[in-house]
Amino acid sequence: MATKACTPGPAPAAPRSSVRALMLTLPIVVWSLLMFFHPGTNTDWRSRTAAAITALFMTALFFMMMRTHTTYRWRRLFFVALGVLFPVGFIYNLVLARGTMGIPVEEMIAGRTPFCFMPIPTLILPAALTRTIVFPGSILSAGGASSHAIAAMVGLWLALTLVLGKGWCSYACFFGGIEEGMAAIPARPRLRKLDPRWRYGPWAVLLAMALLSLALFEPAYCMWLCPFKAVTEYVAARNLVGLIQNVIFVLLFAGLVIVLPFLTKKRTQCSYFCPFGAFQSIFNKISIFDVRIDQARCKSCNICQNACPNLSLSKESIARGETLISCMKCGACIDACPRQAAVWHIKGTQVALKPERARLMFLYAAWAMAILFGGSIIAQGIATILHFLA
Amino acid sequence: MAPPVLFSEALALGLASGPACIAACGPVLVPSLLTQQAGFRPHARYLAAFLSARLLGYLLFAIAVWELGALASMLPALHMLPRAFLMGAVNILLACVLLWYAYSARHACGQSCSGSKLVNIGATTSHRAAGAVALGLLTGLSLCPPFVAAGVRAAQLPGVVQALLFFTLFFVGTSVWFVPFLGLGCLVRNQAVVTVARMAMVLIALYYLALGIAMLMEKKAYGY
Repeated sequence: MATKACTPGPAPAAPRSSVRALMLTLPIVVWSLLMFFHPGTNTDWRSRTAAAITALFMTALFFMMMRTHTTYRWRRLFFVALGVLFPVGFIYNLVLARGTMGIPVEEMIAGRTPFCFMPIPTLILPAALTRTIVFPGSILSAGGASSHAIAAMVGLWLALTLVLGKGWCSYACFFGGIEEGMAAIPARPRLRKLDPRWRYGPWAVLLAMALLSLALFEPAYCMWLCPFKAVTEYVAARNLVGLIQNVIFVLLFAGLVIVLPFLTKKRTQCSYFCPFGAFQSIFNKISIFDVRIDQARCKSCNICQNACPNLSLSKESIARGETLISCMKCGACIDACPRQAAVWHIKGTQVALKPERARLMFLYAAWAMAILFGGSIIAQGIATILHFLA
Repeated sequence: MAPPVLFSEALALGLASGPACIAACGPVLVPSLLTQQAGFRPHARYLAAFLSARLLGYLLFAIAVWELGALASMLPALHMLPRAFLMGAVNILLACVLLWYAYSARHACGQSCSGSKLVNIGATTSHRAAGAVALGLLTGLSLCPPFVAAGVRAAQLPGVVQALLFFTLFFVGTSVWFVPFLGLGCLVRNQAVVTVARMAMVLIALYYLALGIAMLMEKKAYGY
């Protein structure tokens, strides 16, 4: 697309004063204290130390977001920490409870599989048609099948999703951090030409897995295609098929989470494969927050398109002044735009009228969710490390 | 002649089994319908071809089970090796047709489709019907639980004609549940929808392929 003449862009916003940034951070400080130090938690020094470190980490990142007016790099620090520390705490707890990372069929039938949000979209059809939740997991610490507990978890996810849309994938998902970390390592991408049709991959996986889950009454994605089985719980293989399942998990993890993000500087698992991400995209239509391109300022330089880690901007969408439906609201395009044409936006309001206000409203909600889900996971990971160090 | 109550039973069994049938056929039918042109009539034609072939599969099965039933009880026969072999072969064939379907639908979006054999979006009806017939026949031969239940009942009937009639009514009962699939005709067709459908077909085909090979090797489908 040819670049176009337009009005000069505004100068980048000067950093906020520390006092003002601190004032804006106060609600997050209060929320962190509530989440990490409520009664009944932190029974030993390790968990207390981990909670303190996590609370400090989360509030410091938010403070920097407020001070610098940038979002992406600070959010990325949190997200990579979440992605790396999640397997640490998770595997430790698995080994404590079960003695192994492998999950045998007896555990599944007993409903002692730890709950995961990934199969939520594939649960809906069987649940709607048969009132059966095919995911055999539980969120109860004692284990045991609990459809009600899973339903409550789904309800919590739904409430947050209605507000933030696909922001879930940038502020709560504990799987995307590893690939975001891998994508951050190289200075430049080695693979540049990516067929845009692969963007439809997550929708295809979603369609196929939803239909197969209904046909076979099993969480087909968890059993055959989840790359993160490689770093969480794997199939306790007792025959050749189980071995093949584990090989698939490891190959998908190595390809989509390690190698391709390194080569492309993109979150390839999220962009090309994750069915949950596709499902979350639908809620971007409902969420009140979105990212828009101010056409008056945009010079069609496509810097935002290159910066997007999720292939959620195309030349056509930029020309329309909006992102694609798959936008994860990570803020990379907004921070990258030299003319401040990419802006946070609240639906129903004029684009670029008060983008910082929209950003603040989004970030308070998103960071509260990040602390709620991600913060506790980070604290658990740190506590596990302290356990081994001490 | 079998009493009418028996055929009411066939119809009721079909109606009651409908959700299981659409669940079993959904992975095959939904992506293939999404590669068709939008609109009620193309979908109705496709579904008619699919269901007709499925009926043929049912009737073939009815003849087979009645012959088996005349010799012995249905259940031991179904637990013999040929069942696993048959299902393995059907799954592999289904996977092959789906893969070919996905390949053939590559020109579904406004380009020439002269190269396709099974699927030919926007071209003659006969070409489109071939894919629907192949998939309908193969899904019609799948031994899902209600299908086996109907087979057991048909095997107990005194004549092959009654068995055929029983399966036809069972088919009618299940087919009612397929009517909502016509609603997919309302969805817009563009490159995104067709590409998603093709990719989904490949994934589903790979799944059936793995399942089929596991059955042929007499392995359990799950690693647990």
